Amino acid sequence: MRLPEKMSSYEDMVGPGITACSGCNVELSMRTALQILGPNTIVAVPPGCMGGVQSVGWADKTGMKIPVFFPLLDNTASMLTGIKKYYERVGRDVNVVAFAGDGASADAGFQALSGAAERGDNIIYICYDNEGYMNTGFQRSSSTSLGSWTSTTPVGEAAEGKSSHKKDMPMIMAMHDIAYMATASPAYMPDLIRKIEKAKTIKDGLVYIHIYNSCTTGWGYPSEKSIDIVRKGVKSRFMPIYEVDHGKFKLNVDIKDPIPLKDYLGSMKKYKHLSDHQVDQLQEYVDEKWNNLKTLCEVMG
Amino acid sequence: MSKKQVLNGNHAAAIGALLAKPDVVAAYPITPQTPLVEYFSQYVADGVMDSTIVEPESEHSAMSVLTGASLAGARTFTATSSQGLSLMFEPYFRASTMRLPIVMNIVNREMISPQTVWGGPQDSLTVRDAGWLQIYVEDNQEILDMNIQAFKIAEHKDVLLPINICYDGFYLSHMTEGVEVPTQEEVADFIPPYNPTHVRLDPETPMAVDPLTPGNYLQYYRELHMTAMDNAKRVIKEVNDEFAAKFGRDYFGLVEPYKMDDAEYVLVTLGSLTGSARIAVDKARENGVKVGLVKIRCLRPFPKNEVIELLAGRKAIGVIDRNVSFGWHTGIVYQEIKSATSTLEAVPTVPFIGGLGGEDLTTELMSEAIEKVLEVADSGQVENKAHWLINTKGR
Repeated sequence: MRLPEKMSSYEDMVGPGITACSGCNVELSMRTALQILGPNTIVAVPPGCMGGVQSVGWADKTGMKIPVFFPLLDNTASMLTGIKKYYERVGRDVNVVAFAGDGASADAGFQALSGAAERGDNIIYICYDNEGYMNTGFQRSSSTSLGSWTSTTPVGEAAEGKSSHKKDMPMIMAMHDIAYMATASPAYMPDLIRKIEKAKTIKDGLVYIHIYNSCTTGWGYPSEKSIDIVRKGVKSRFMPIYEVDHGKFKLNVDIKDPIPLKDYLGSMKKYKHLSDHQVDQLQEYVDEKWNNLKTLCEVMG
Repeated sequence: MSKKQVLNGNHAAAIGALLAKPDVVAAYPITPQTPLVEYFSQYVADGVMDSTIVEPESEHSAMSVLTGASLAGARTFTATSSQGLSLMFEPYFRASTMRLPIVMNIVNREMISPQTVWGGPQDSLTVRDAGWLQIYVEDNQEILDMNIQAFKIAEHKDVLLPINICYDGFYLSHMTEGVEVPTQEEVADFIPPYNPTHVRLDPETPMAVDPLTPGNYLQYYRELHMTAMDNAKRVIKEVNDEFAAKFGRDYFGLVEPYKMDDAEYVLVTLGSLTGSARIAVDKARENGVKVGLVKIRCLRPFPKNEVIELLAGRKAIGVIDRNVSFGWHTGIVYQEIKSATSTLEAVPTVPFIGGLGGEDLTTELMSEAIEKVLEVADSGQVENKAHWLINTKGR
């Protein structure tokens, strides 16, 4: 079956009245992921954009066709562990899933996620990385990249945006020796879909899927460019698409001839103030990460 | 048939809980609760019990794991102390407001600073308004018995609230006493199975748990929660009576009166310090002083009616607090007693503070408290701040 036909045969698990900002590729990612995961799924959506758009429900109405819970910002993985352990105990195979932003994953919720990864709890943790606290107007997270303007790392006479690089969450999670780690992008949908399908089959440990998303309002670009932007992110090697299946590294989208990083950075407002020095720093970061990843794929492929 | 064993408080708690057969247990070790977690882990390792144990990386996650497990339908158990309790405060408050009947022992330990590991209920008393039921116990038998009763109270359809069984660190957690241990069959017969429908995460019955909630709904939920607290007063008494009939040990429900029938003066106590207060009461009675004692067992819900009934018409009262209420210069239980008795004709009531940081509240200090109560009954003059019960030895 062709991919569009296959996808249209799956039911949308998110309520039809739930919409994020115009052009949001996180909503697209969430709907796609939950379509594949299907009705035998319990999903936790912690505070963040996708909680904010009320996929978690409002008052006495639900926002999903599957059980949905709005956990704390910092306990998503732990509470999912509790759910999964009970279902394992009573012998029911249920997909227990997080759809959490980078703040809930890389910052406040990191300890709980690291604990679940170390214990090998069989949950599917999907992080939608739009590089900041976007739901509340773009405050910085540890997943915000160097130089980025945010409302808490503003640009002025004495400051030029965020002063440190982005936390490398995919690699950190891979180094927990979890069962399956993958990065994905809504610009590479067949790859994203395959990875969610794969996640569903993993029964021997934690799955972490890191989706490189973007944010039209926070990053500052026209809403129809949401897919273009993240495709440029991949093509500039800023957002490497790879997977680590039980310790085996594989680059899924090899970028042999990258576009200039400036093409990516220059296509949105959050980087418009960048100095040449900052662009150089970012280029060095991207080159080093890419080379390390290539080496890992060769040595541990 | 039950059998008598020599058990420390942590061991008694572990056995009480395992007899109730929790599905999922998640606890992070902290002094003085640590041995409880070790006993549990060993019982599971030995195949004596078949709970699913999760080893979380923090207390915050311990409570979060149980939140998830309880939402999935599990019977759940944990325990903590002081700093661990404060770390888990975020999911702690939420467990009660989501109406999850989690059973958690709080092995009472002082809050730092200064650095300390010793006993005192400052930890659990500080979170008394987080919506949990809180029961404070006096000895190791009561620890075991209340861990059995706790599940039945918390999971009762008119309650559905989490519950803390609070016992003093070291004084009870690490001291041994003879404890009657009921059989698994007796306990299984006593506690019905838990099968929640009020909140549940199950793909067969999809539900949004805790959506974004506007104020009008939130107020309604708070009112239901407070009604459940009111219901708990009745249920705690019913479970107490049923337990007494079945196992032969009666804890009098919400408060325990001791020599109160003809008492003119009263000491109000909480927790293990009640033991030395009982001895001081007995000694004073030998000297013809008509003093009695009221042990507060249930702090949340607060047994207002029972307290009013027991304290009305007495000549003077002393409240012994092993904790402080900053800003009042009294203990916390004193504030509770004053609130409860505000509709009574004024009875001089003395706030006492002592035994902090595991300091010994000796029978001599309890006798000093009784002397002070008698003095105040005569003068009618109560100072505007606590009378400190201080062990001068070694100071």
